[in-house]
Amino acid sequence: MPVEIHDLTVAYHRKPVLWGIDLVVPKGRLVGIVGPNGAGKSTLIKAMMGLLPLSSGWVKLFGEHSRRNLKRVGYVPQRESVDWDFPVNVMDVVLMGRYGHLGMMRRPTRKDRDIARESLDKVKMLPYANRQISNLSGGQQQRVFLARALAQESDLYFMDEPFSGVDAATEAAIVTLLHELRDRGKTLLVVHHDLPTARNYFDMLLLLNMRVVAFGPTSEVFTQELLQRTYGGRLTILSEVAEAVRTRT
Amino acid sequence: MSGFIPPFDWHAVVVSPWTENMAQYGWIVAMGFLVTLACGLVGNYLIFRRMALVGDAISHSVLPGLAIAFLVAYHAGSSGLWGTPPDAADGAHHDYRSPLLMFLGALVAGLGTTVLIELIHKKSRVKQDAAIGITFSSLFAIGVILITVFADEVDLDADCVLYGEITFVSMEPRVRLGELSLGPPSVLRMGVVTMLTVLFILLFYKELLVSSFDPGLSRSMGINPTFMHYALMSWLSVVVVSAFESVGAILVVAMLILPGATASLLTDRLPRIFLLTVLHAALSALAGLHLAIWLNCAAAAAMVVMGAAWFVLAWVFSPGQGLLRRWWTLRTQPLAPPALETAQPRE
Amino acid sequence: MNASSPACRQNGSCLHPLQWLRASQSAALLAGVLLLLLGAAMPAEAAKIGELTETDVFEQAIRFFSMKDPTARYALSGAVLLGISCGLLGSFIVVRRMALLGDALSHAVLPGVAMGWLWHQTKDPVAIFVGATIFGLLGTFVVSLIKQTTKLKEDAALGMVLAGFYAVGICLVTMIQRLPQGNKAGVDKFLFGQASAMGPDDIKLMAVVTLIAVVVLFLFYKEFLAISFDQAFAHVSGFPTRLLHYSMMLLLAFSVVIALQAVGVVLVSAMLITPAAAAYLLTDRLHRMLWLATLFGMVSGALGAFISFLQTSLPTGPFMVLAASLVFGCAFLFAPRHGVVVRWVRRRSRARRVQRENTLKAIYHVLEDRDFFGEGVSLNELAERRRETVEDASQLATRLVRHGLATLHEDGDLILLTPEGMQRASAIVRNHRLWELYLTNAASIAADHVHEDAEKIEHVLGEETVRKLERRLAFATRDPHGRAIPSTADIQKISKGGSSPEEVTGYGRRP
Repeated sequence: MPVEIHDLTVAYHRKPVLWGIDLVVPKGRLVGIVGPNGAGKSTLIKAMMGLLPLSSGWVKLFGEHSRRNLKRVGYVPQRESVDWDFPVNVMDVVLMGRYGHLGMMRRPTRKDRDIARESLDKVKMLPYANRQISNLSGGQQQRVFLARALAQESDLYFMDEPFSGVDAATEAAIVTLLHELRDRGKTLLVVHHDLPTARNYFDMLLLLNMRVVAFGPTSEVFTQELLQRTYGGRLTILSEVAEAVRTRT
Repeated sequence: MSGFIPPFDWHAVVVSPWTENMAQYGWIVAMGFLVTLACGLVGNYLIFRRMALVGDAISHSVLPGLAIAFLVAYHAGSSGLWGTPPDAADGAHHDYRSPLLMFLGALVAGLGTTVLIELIHKKSRVKQDAAIGITFSSLFAIGVILITVFADEVDLDADCVLYGEITFVSMEPRVRLGELSLGPPSVLRMGVVTMLTVLFILLFYKELLVSSFDPGLSRSMGINPTFMHYALMSWLSVVVVSAFESVGAILVVAMLILPGATASLLTDRLPRIFLLTVLHAALSALAGLHLAIWLNCAAAAAMVVMGAAWFVLAWVFSPGQGLLRRWWTLRTQPLAPPALETAQPRE
Repeated sequence: MNASSPACRQNGSCLHPLQWLRASQSAALLAGVLLLLLGAAMPAEAAKIGELTETDVFEQAIRFFSMKDPTARYALSGAVLLGISCGLLGSFIVVRRMALLGDALSHAVLPGVAMGWLWHQTKDPVAIFVGATIFGLLGTFVVSLIKQTTKLKEDAALGMVLAGFYAVGICLVTMIQRLPQGNKAGVDKFLFGQASAMGPDDIKLMAVVTLIAVVVLFLFYKEFLAISFDQAFAHVSGFPTRLLHYSMMLLLAFSVVIALQAVGVVLVSAMLITPAAAAYLLTDRLHRMLWLATLFGMVSGALGAFISFLQTSLPTGPFMVLAASLVFGCAFLFAPRHGVVVRWVRRRSRARRVQRENTLKAIYHVLEDRDFFGEGVSLNELAERRRETVEDASQLATRLVRHGLATLHEDGDLILLTPEGMQRASAIVRNHRLWELYLTNAASIAADHVHEDAEKIEHVLGEETVRKLERRLAFATRDPHGRAIPSTADIQKISKGGSSPEEVTGYGRRP
């Protein structure tokens, strides 16, 4: 199993953000993680990668405790999490995807560059390879991150809101790419904040609000009752929930 | 190593300053208290606004302003425009400092620093932290060069810039009003500045508060946050420059931040924070003086050391959020499950 | 915005050497400017400082830089070494936005310096180095501890550590000075720095430490790049991010500590921040930034050491910092891409281009109004169309001539567009009308509201966007106001005209 989580609890300053998470994700699925703001979606991803101290429970990736199998994990962080004025160009960023395979002290080889170039080509960013990253639009920046994750050639991908601040064309391209990866047997966990599209994009949905509200195939989980339980009494979102369910045919 | 740390003599360190040299040490403690209080009060707002390091920058960059003010006063003085011309035969010490020019120089330097930092980080991709570092170090370097090159004209030496000469206040000739001796001029000056600071905060309590926490709301209430920002920075420059000769350019930073930081570890309520700031200032000045007498070291630095010691005590023992309390709750109390808003289906 | 320079963007590989060239050129330029400024400032400065004459300065310069004098040799090599290590580590803290942590660290070393001195009661470089490094690291550790365990923010934590540790240091230093052997202790030289106080032992230590920093950064460049850009990603790549971070802090403490003697506690952070920030403005690649920052650090270090060599009573630190600030100032103003002046010039040239294009458009409109009949446009007609004086119109016409877009005839009263001018004029009119049509058709905005928007858009539409627009609007020939839209094909024909002026311009006679 790519991901197994048992009784996971994470707290910031003794305030629990995730509580008693149990989760088993089967191989080759495209999983959407949805929930209101502050539901701990990003925290869950970070905890799975071992970036945060766990208050209790454990996470296994591919049957082993996380640290060991991190190299089989690809990661697309939130776009805002890095400084886009950083003095690197697009190629430098994508090459970082190869660092895990290289190990310490070794420099990227020609083969790594070829892989990076291919990944860039897949997201249609090859013409921008030498562009400094601050001279990119939001959608292009997101594509660069995606190319970096592709260059990692991983079996399991964690993506944190890859659709935020992205134009329609890029969004469609990303969805196609995610489906392609899934069809090649990769497992993908994607944090997503737009309910109406979540239903179309993902095979499985994890409804999260500090606890797991529901996890299962999209058709079974995407119900008014479960969504309302996830989003609680938040009025604005409730109407969105109703809308999302109504458009479902 | 022997003799480096003098033996602790209770009588000499704690008692005799107050029984034998009251007049001398009283003024030093008063000066230390006033400086720490004025700095601490203004510093509280720096902490709220997350601008502690802009305070650091301004405290460094008033140096060139001060040096230029001295230069101008000296040359104006020597040509008879400002006070009495120097008279070598007289042999007396001539004071060429003009408080007005000093405040003016500090204001220009302080506002200049603020503007320069803004300029660098708005007009280029250099981030604010680096912009602060570049600005204050350049201005400070200019200041140091001025006071070394024009050492004859500028009555500020390097030691004074580095750690102040707070003990000098007891040697100043007293200001007299008729028969009555009021006290050393710099203490009186600092007293006025501190009083004005308190007044400033009392009068503009609401404005300062709102513009610190919510610039948008403050604009809608008709308080211009930019104006409040520059007003605060100007006042900060005035406070820093009046404290400059006593504590120097760097220790001021501690006096700006330590009182407010200590207070905010002990309470969450703003009025109490201000009261604790006063208490912290008094305790640091007093304890600092005794430390300085015992170890025979720079008094202003000793006051900061004691201020830092109070901070560490609060950090460890604060009843609400101290390290001990944190450690204890971590040991004894399990995490409480998150309270979930349960779904409330509405019609 | 994407269409501003399609040719260069498309062919990405052409940028690489060009950029490098530009970066190195600007570095050379900066160095030149700096030397010039210094050359100009030096005689005046020196005259003031030590009543030295101009020739003396040159003699001194030769003596200093030829390193014949042992003091000069130590001072210069020390300055160069500290420039290297501070430039390298400074680059990392600038891009990681940790500049002020560098400042806090550099003040926090002072108690360590004092304790290092107390160890043997002499200025033993190694003891001072060890003590200072320990306290520097302790300072950064306390900063992160305060951040983690209290609600105080980073700025307050940095300020307290900076000034608190410094105060402890000052207490110790003043206590040392009151010791019988403390007077000649030289500890006070650590506050503002004195390059000439450095001896062979200091230089050896500096060389070793700089070498360590260079080797470690070279070997682990990739790892340091990764944790600086995206710590979470570096973790996923399997790098020991925490270990890497602390080793970077250790190197940072090293470079601060070896720079202390020459720059002093108070200003050493500037040698970390300023050269690196200048380099940051000049290049978009981290490895080039490291090179440039090293260069700038060395240059400013050497200059500062030289000035204090002229007059030993002057502290070295402030002069080094001032030299570095000068470099930064030049970069801030004149950096090829990010410089303030350069951007101003670029903005101005864009405004000029817009003005030329508007003139061309007005001429086109005049011609169009009379069905392209007649020989060119008179200044009067242009002035009338643009509602300006004839003098202004004449100035505009001269600008067109200067750019080869028009020629003036009949004592400068008649403007004839060159083929290129006509091509540009038609293109601008086309852009304007296409955009108006697009707004009314696709965005269904009323026809009388589209002009203002088109006035701005017409100057920035790229060739590719225009073609898309044309396709999208099915190669329409009329704009919403019923006027003809020149097609791209027509415009291209203009340049293929014959050789005689009438044939070339193609619009001079009645069709």
